[in-house]
Amino acid sequence: MIRVLAIAALLLGAAPSAALANEGGGGLISLDKSILIQAINFGLLLFILIKLLYKPLMTKMQERTEAIRSSLEEAKAARAEAERERAEHAAKLQASYAEAQAIRASALKEAGEEQRRLVEAARAEAARLVETARNELAQDVRRARQDLRQEVADLATTVAERLIRKSLRDEDHRRIIEDAIGRVDRVS
Amino acid sequence: MRAHEGTARRYAKALYELAHASGDAEAVGRELEEVAAVYAGDAGARDVLTRPWIKPVDRRGVATAIAQKAGARKLVQDFVGLVAERGRADHLPEIIATYRLLVDAGLGRARAQVRTAAAFTDAEKQQLAGRLERALGKRIIVEEQVDATLLGGFVAQVGSLILDGSLDGQLARMRQRLARG
Repeated sequence: MIRVLAIAALLLGAAPSAALANEGGGGLISLDKSILIQAINFGLLLFILIKLLYKPLMTKMQERTEAIRSSLEEAKAARAEAERERAEHAAKLQASYAEAQAIRASALKEAGEEQRRLVEAARAEAARLVETARNELAQDVRRARQDLRQEVADLATTVAERLIRKSLRDEDHRRIIEDAIGRVDRVS
Repeated sequence: MRAHEGTARRYAKALYELAHASGDAEAVGRELEEVAAVYAGDAGARDVLTRPWIKPVDRRGVATAIAQKAGARKLVQDFVGLVAERGRADHLPEIIATYRLLVDAGLGRARAQVRTAAAFTDAEKQQLAGRLERALGKRIIVEEQVDATLLGGFVAQVGSLILDGSLDGQLARMRQRLARG
């Protein structure tokens, strides 16, 4: 809109100049009364240009400058904030890393302790199992020996009984009874 | 059986005191054994005397008749009658055994129950009795019983004393020694 008005003012200023030039039939500028009109025309045109074009343009430029400056400051502040946050994050990261290292070291230490304890417990359990197995084995051997002795004793007495029963005659009975009677004295 | 023993002891003791007072304890014992033998051999009499629904008076009558038949004296007749009346006829074997012990104790003697593989000769019996008498300090009556399950020798029991002179005992001891190693 402002531009349309400025162009119209230029056309208005140019029209009298062109008429004056045609009337004189000479050069571009005639040193007569038209120069005054041209000067007024020029002044009017200048006023209109200043009023309608230059000032708004300057205002607009000022606004743009302010906006850019504001944006720059905001960007600077944002950068500072980002830098601060980055530093903060870096510090947190460092602290987290240190903490993680501490946890890892602690976990490694605990794992080492646990491993040592488990190994010791396993050794003790193995020793106990070996001892138990040894005792059971010894007990089994004792039991087997006792069973074997009992079987040998049973077998020997059974065989002896059969042989004796088969071979005993009356005179043997008499002798056995006599021997047994002879042992009665020992009762007292 | 323990109850039998207690009851038998009471009856045997009562009879022994009466018989001992009359000085015929041993003869009464013999007669009592004869009555018991007749009773044992008479199944009908056993049935009557052991059935609780037979009247006590009838049981007494039957028992007295058995004793009379066996030729027992009045004391023995009355005693078996009383035992039958009280329903104790089945206790007679224990009563006789206890009575015998009381008589033996009264006469200062003991009985040796001998299980033997081969029958004793008279000489062996006397020899054993003599040895036991010397060892125990009382007169011994040897009661012999042949036991075919014994391998050889004999086992004698006098009261709670047991003398094992059998081959079975020797074999058992040998088995124990072998088993112990």
